[in-house]
Amino acid sequence: MFRIEVDRARFREIVRGRIRQDLRKYLSNSELIARQGEHAVSVPIPQIELPRFRFGENQKAGVGQGPGEKGEALGEKDGEGGGEGAAGDSEGAHILEVEVELEELAEMLGKELQLPNIQPRGKRDIATEGGRYNGVRRSGPDSLRHMRRTFKAALLRTISSGDWDPANPKVVPDREDQRYRARKSAPVPDSSAVIFHMMDVSGSMGREQKEIVRIEAFWIDTWLRSQYRNIEVVYIVHDAVAKVVDQNAFFHLRESGGTKISSAYELALKLIQEKYRTEDWNIYPFHYSDGDNWSARDTERCVALLRDEILPRCNQFCYGQVKSAYGSGQFKKDLDEALGSDERLVTSSVSDRGDIAAAIRLFLGKGR
Amino acid sequence: MQFARRRSSSLTPELALWAERIEKVARGYGLDFYELVFELLDAKDVNGIAAYGGFPVRYPSWRFGMEFERLEKGYEYGLSKIYELVINNDPVVAYLVKSNSLLEQKLVMAHVCGHADFFAHNCWFQATDRHMLDTMGQHSTTVRRLVDRHGLERVETFMDAALSLENLLDPYLPLRGHLAKTKPSALGAPPTYDILGFLCERAPVEDWQREILRIVRAEAYYFQPQRMTKIMNEGWASFWHSRILTGGVLDASEIVDFADCHSGATARAPGRVNPYKLGIELFRYAEELGHDVFALRRRHNDASLIDELVDQAFVEREMLFLYGKNSRTARTEVTDRDWRKVKDRLLGELAWGGLPQIELVAVDARGKGELSLLHHHDGRDLQLAHARETLLRLSAVWKGPVELVTREESEGRLLACDGKEVEVSEIAAPNVEPQAEQSGEH
Repeated sequence: MFRIEVDRARFREIVRGRIRQDLRKYLSNSELIARQGEHAVSVPIPQIELPRFRFGENQKAGVGQGPGEKGEALGEKDGEGGGEGAAGDSEGAHILEVEVELEELAEMLGKELQLPNIQPRGKRDIATEGGRYNGVRRSGPDSLRHMRRTFKAALLRTISSGDWDPANPKVVPDREDQRYRARKSAPVPDSSAVIFHMMDVSGSMGREQKEIVRIEAFWIDTWLRSQYRNIEVVYIVHDAVAKVVDQNAFFHLRESGGTKISSAYELALKLIQEKYRTEDWNIYPFHYSDGDNWSARDTERCVALLRDEILPRCNQFCYGQVKSAYGSGQFKKDLDEALGSDERLVTSSVSDRGDIAAAIRLFLGKGR
Repeated sequence: MQFARRRSSSLTPELALWAERIEKVARGYGLDFYELVFELLDAKDVNGIAAYGGFPVRYPSWRFGMEFERLEKGYEYGLSKIYELVINNDPVVAYLVKSNSLLEQKLVMAHVCGHADFFAHNCWFQATDRHMLDTMGQHSTTVRRLVDRHGLERVETFMDAALSLENLLDPYLPLRGHLAKTKPSALGAPPTYDILGFLCERAPVEDWQREILRIVRAEAYYFQPQRMTKIMNEGWASFWHSRILTGGVLDASEIVDFADCHSGATARAPGRVNPYKLGIELFRYAEELGHDVFALRRRHNDASLIDELVDQAFVEREMLFLYGKNSRTARTEVTDRDWRKVKDRLLGELAWGGLPQIELVAVDARGKGELSLLHHHDGRDLQLAHARETLLRLSAVWKGPVELVTREESEGRLLACDGKEVEVSEIAAPNVEPQAEQSGEH
């Protein structure tokens, strides 16, 4: 069924165009996140309909079949049901899902927000073996013989030696004409990165705040994944103490109690020192909170940690402040005051979902 | 018609044997059809063919790709599955799905015999192209050639516009032409319902665009009789598959599975009419009343058959009812079981082949070269958002202003399109009742 695949490909192309157009919409809602697979996201799109003269729904009325008294609601006595849909030609608002590779999604994001590609820090180009047979050699096993090149070489030799007879165009490859495919190894920059998502889960961070964090984190991951070959993501939540959790818990955990931001920074630093050494990893800590910290003293501790320990070790440290009903938003001010001149620190503040795109642009726009 | 030797067929020997037997039994009951070719394919290929409306040779369009995507997802998630696909052609081609059980295959083959007989004898199909496979192939070649010459984007854009106008046709036109033994020649003369035909003749478009309009029109008219006889066609096929299979084709051990499969297909649905169910019951009812079912299947379409057969006893037996939205409780509920109202509603829905009845009443009535369209409102409103978009496309094809008069509930509406925008204004309600053409006896 080759033809239908061509039409399907065309349809998908059209759909991608739509997604590209609507990317801003997806940037501010969490529709895509729940649909993330390993390598692809399935994007729900309303079926692209050809406009036609058709009946509207001015009355949801019609003829049905089955028991029920006058005034009885449809589908209450569902004993009837069980129609196995043999007649599947009803028209309606079908929702289609279309798979989009994460890589492609990142590309769309990059275009939409005009994100620069990231230049990996330092020079850690480690020659890794590239395993592609795209070279040609004069020796090799018969199974890898490159017929066309062999023939070409033989033809060249025949012509140049004057044996070429257009009336009897016979070309016999010699041993030295043989060409074989060969593996070419090229140095591939070794690029690993680790992302720390740290979130304040104290009582003041509500559902909406977490949702915003979730959307930001999704897009940040998607982008960084497209930039590095090997990505690890570490999720840290904190209130007065910090701990490492898995992705699911990160977004759904609800704690209460105080907020001690330094606890999260300390934990991240510990992990960096133990596991993600600067020599091997590009490090991206992100921290989200509503801007409230337990005490000014703890904030001082945070600033010191950032200045002396974390910032020198990472590519960029991002602080995303999400506005909540209770948060004072003081922490961002404090950070900006103390470390605002350091270009490795980026702070943003998001008051609602509409700001997410701008925040992502701020975080990733530096190409670090 | 005699037994035809099977042309190429991908059936397994066992299925081929059953096909032969079932066909023989069917013909023994008096069913009569063109040569029947079964193709056995896997589900994916059947989905692909179904996406093309049954024709694997159809012209390229993303719309078919979308349909394929939908069918594939439905199959993948186990929501829907195509049992069978049959096309009206000589020979009749039917696709069977490999993964079906032997019983299902038998059922489908018997069902297909019913469809094939219906295609061959129902009067609404008499004017259809019986070599549509070839014709579609030619259309496909033409469209591909146009794509090569004019570029995919341009052809696609115009094709999409033409497809939006696909249902602006006169369902009764082909038969009228057929009965008069002449080609319908009234193209291009308003008033007409055959707006597509009008555009083929009169729209100021380039030749290649005209070719696309003709292709879209030819295919639309080919499929129209199937829409107008959906209930009958499915009913007739179910009526016969049931009779053929229980008349000796099935082994006793298969009866329960058959009953399960059959009742699944002909289940009553509370919120809509299942054409399989309504159709089979109509034919059974007719037989009980002593009608000649073969004559009925020859003469009628869905609307006229219901007009002829449905009465109080039938509506009560089949538990048909009217439903509607209760504005107080916001529930959809049963509103009436009066048989006359049920029948009226059914007839109204089916009268114009299920399409909104839209007529081109005048060209250039006000000297601006505009097309004036009138929607014969039958109680069902048009979806205005779609109507606007469609008018824009019509205007693009016509290269001039177009307008449509319709109603929203009881209030008149004028949708005027100048090629760029559509303006909706309130007007006095057009006092036109739908004039469903009488079909029936000929």
